[in-house]
Amino acid sequence: MFFVPRRAQHRRAQYRRVCGLACMCSVSAAACQTADRVDSAGSPSTRLVATTRGVPSAGLSPADTDDFGTPLPTDASFASRIVSLNPTATEVLFAIGANARLVGRSVWDEFPPEAVTIPDVGNGIRPNIEAVLQQRPSLVILYATAENRAAAEAFARAGVRTMALRVDRIEQFMTLTMRLGVAVGEVSRARDMVDSVQRTLDRVRAVTRTAKRRSVVWPLWQQPVLAVGGGSYLDELIDIAGGRNVFHELPVPSPPVSIEEIARRDPDMIVASRKTASELDAKRQWQAVRAVRDHRWVTHDPALTGRPSVVLGSAAVSLARLLHPELITALPPLPSTPAAKSATP
Amino acid sequence: MTTGDARDRDAAPSSSGTTAMRLRIDDVVVQYAGSAARALDGVSLVATPGSMTAVVGPNGSGKSTIVRALLRLNPRIRGAIHIGDSSLESFTPRRFATTVAVVPQREESLMPMLVKDYVALGRHAHRSAFGALTAEDTHHIVDGLARTGMGHAVDRRTDQLSGGEWQRVRIARALAQHAPVLVLDEPTAFLDIAHEMAVFELLDTLAREGRTVLLVSHQLNLVARFASHIVLLHRGLVAAAGSAGEVMRGELLERVYDWPLVVTRDAAVGALSMLPLRGSAKRTR
Amino acid sequence: MSTPARRAEIDARLLAALGVCGVVVMLAVAVAIGTVSVPIGEVWSALRGVGDATTVTIVRDLRVPRALLAALVGVGLSVSGGALQGTLRNPLAEPFLLGVSGGAAVGAVIATALGITSPLVVTVAAFVGAAFATALVSVIARVAGGGSDTRLLLMAGVVVGAFANAAILVALADAPPERLRGALWWMMGSAADATWGAVARLAVAIVVLATPLIWWARDIDVLAMGDDAAASLGVDTVRTSRRVFLVASWLAAATVAAAGLVGFVGLVVPNIARAVGARHHRSMLLVSALFGAALMIGADLLARTARAPADLPLGAVTALIGVPFFLLRMRRLAA
Repeated sequence: MFFVPRRAQHRRAQYRRVCGLACMCSVSAAACQTADRVDSAGSPSTRLVATTRGVPSAGLSPADTDDFGTPLPTDASFASRIVSLNPTATEVLFAIGANARLVGRSVWDEFPPEAVTIPDVGNGIRPNIEAVLQQRPSLVILYATAENRAAAEAFARAGVRTMALRVDRIEQFMTLTMRLGVAVGEVSRARDMVDSVQRTLDRVRAVTRTAKRRSVVWPLWQQPVLAVGGGSYLDELIDIAGGRNVFHELPVPSPPVSIEEIARRDPDMIVASRKTASELDAKRQWQAVRAVRDHRWVTHDPALTGRPSVVLGSAAVSLARLLHPELITALPPLPSTPAAKSATP
Repeated sequence: MTTGDARDRDAAPSSSGTTAMRLRIDDVVVQYAGSAARALDGVSLVATPGSMTAVVGPNGSGKSTIVRALLRLNPRIRGAIHIGDSSLESFTPRRFATTVAVVPQREESLMPMLVKDYVALGRHAHRSAFGALTAEDTHHIVDGLARTGMGHAVDRRTDQLSGGEWQRVRIARALAQHAPVLVLDEPTAFLDIAHEMAVFELLDTLAREGRTVLLVSHQLNLVARFASHIVLLHRGLVAAAGSAGEVMRGELLERVYDWPLVVTRDAAVGALSMLPLRGSAKRTR
Repeated sequence: MSTPARRAEIDARLLAALGVCGVVVMLAVAVAIGTVSVPIGEVWSALRGVGDATTVTIVRDLRVPRALLAALVGVGLSVSGGALQGTLRNPLAEPFLLGVSGGAAVGAVIATALGITSPLVVTVAAFVGAAFATALVSVIARVAGGGSDTRLLLMAGVVVGAFANAAILVALADAPPERLRGALWWMMGSAADATWGAVARLAVAIVVLATPLIWWARDIDVLAMGDDAAASLGVDTVRTSRRVFLVASWLAAATVAAAGLVGFVGLVVPNIARAVGARHHRSMLLVSALFGAALMIGADLLARTARAPADLPLGAVTALIGVPFFLLRMRRLAA
């Protein structure tokens, strides 16, 4: 009938533990959100470069830094052995012919198909430092996210040069390509590729400029419901392809939304891969969205759109063809790369 | 399992309307894990219906251990306990509760409830899972509260009672069980003179009504006046058993309680009583 | 032995009626409010399938299942918490603190980390995890010296809960970012992807598991008095407390499997029910179920409207309710 003091102490300890756990959970959740936002804002130097549309000029001064603020290599002196823990970087290195220097990649680097011949050294986020160092690299390319800062410092202490890069938007892809070009001594090939992609994007934009905008939503994940937001290259691709992302005003790349909100914004079309489309179609909750009820699917090819990389041009072309079938003849043809071959509507 | 005939054998005519039962403890040995000494080292006693049997002894002699052994709450190595003609093991918890009402020494009331609800819990073994209180249930509850003088407190909460009131409510709960055997461990611990006497007189009445009353108590003098059979425990063994005259002996009690005392017969009440002396008397004796 | 001022004690039947009203009102409010505003008048026709297809789907397939799932989670957690508090004789016991929820989370997260997407399989995995955690708690308590010593059970629960957290982090160490995000979102509780199937599954589980607890309610009344007293009143303490503990844990596990980790409900609601006068465990469990349902519908409503269009985790909202409750109780303890 009376609480013993011992028990009260025990319960206080319980309380502290539970509150501590709750705090940890909410703090880590908040941290995840903020980290997303911080990383997607991009580093100051990229924003500077991004103001000029078109090919970044040789105004890339040696003082430029990567997304972590580390000075960039100004020539190819560090390029003898490269470990790339960044999928876009891996693909670009292949595209500009520098793959001979690659001695390691992250397990998530799947493009181009030849990349599997490069030894995989594990995770790209919080990498296994020892596994990477085992390849005796002279340069490590990291994915620039807050969780990799410790890895960058660890590599620096081990005397290995690092480049931390991140691509959320198309301009960042251009920048990354040029920087890699400088770092491996293939500046002209890098510029060629950047020019080619930019040309394709400009052509598509020109064709769709006068067409009626189609409003679209692009769901990325279901639990929780995430959609493409204004901070993502996919949003830019939609714009280039003659569409309007209903969540354009949300600044992060993949904001959490709700099915109700999507229904309220009533997009004309809904972008999804074939697999996702059939999943969503089968769920009763998604029938609240008119575009799902009317089967107004834009079945994109994840092989083209899944990453902000060398296939950006083809991705824009394929999206434009799906959003504006009436303009197919005016649009540039899809390049016949192996990735494009699997692009079926 | 007891048959109807065996029950009758142990029954004695009573005015309380319950079938009386004899409680027999045979050579019980209890030893707790991790303890070198045995809490009970071969204790035997019999409590007969229609009488009050008291277990007395110093702290640690094993008095409460007997009650807990009855509740099957400690490890019994040897010996047997019989209630009526059935062994303790043959009792389901429910049948046990309708046969033996136990008032343990300590009881926590972590979930404060109304006194009437608490006493009603005594009827738990008699009720089905969903049934409401029957007239018989209510009768025993009211009766129990009345006999312990707590009838006025039915709507008070158990955490608002004084120590003595709580004690009496617990006894009322045991009475509500309406069991032929009543076992109480230090039932007068927090009671003043008036209430202590009232409890002893109540137990005396219950015994005369035909119940088997087994009482564990520190109060040697009151026990000597009211109990017909006294068992004196010392370090887990029975030091003496019998009537007050056989147990209330000076040297015996001094040895067992390890304290100087005298035993006199009080002319006013006609019972033997024990008087503890000052500690300095130890040297002179 | 001081007591606070006499609180009003309300008849249990009145409390139940209040609870039912509360649930009905909360359901109506939850269905009407949201990103898309649905006037109350339209709600009824939408339920019947009449009206704009978007509104009908939103009402019938988004809001109603979600509110019902939240309500059922409230019922399950409150009944489970109430039964555990009685059998462990501790008004601060609840499935979260006893490691049950942690065990269920381990099961579900391992299934998710292995790439399993079928909700039924994940549910079963959570159930298995909770059952395993419950058994582990009992074994640890028994090995430590007493199967029914409530303090040992609580401490064993803390140990198992901590171990479950560690196991979850290990299971998620190698997971790709999307799976990690999904698992974490689930771990913080949400009714957002409620389907009618999930509602039906949880309803069945609650009926099957809550009924025996209500059946044993009177035994729990006796258990709450203490081992010695309970033994003398006709209750097999060891067996009964073990039974209640297991069934209550499984009931909580069913809610975890349906909506992830939601804490504090099983702790707060039974205490409120007791405070307003539901004295016996039978009425307390029923009243707790109703209050818990109403509370969870409200919490879920808050979770999806407070920061629309994003969904707040349900567990965070219930934690916000639980913390002030804790503070109040601590003050009363210290006083």
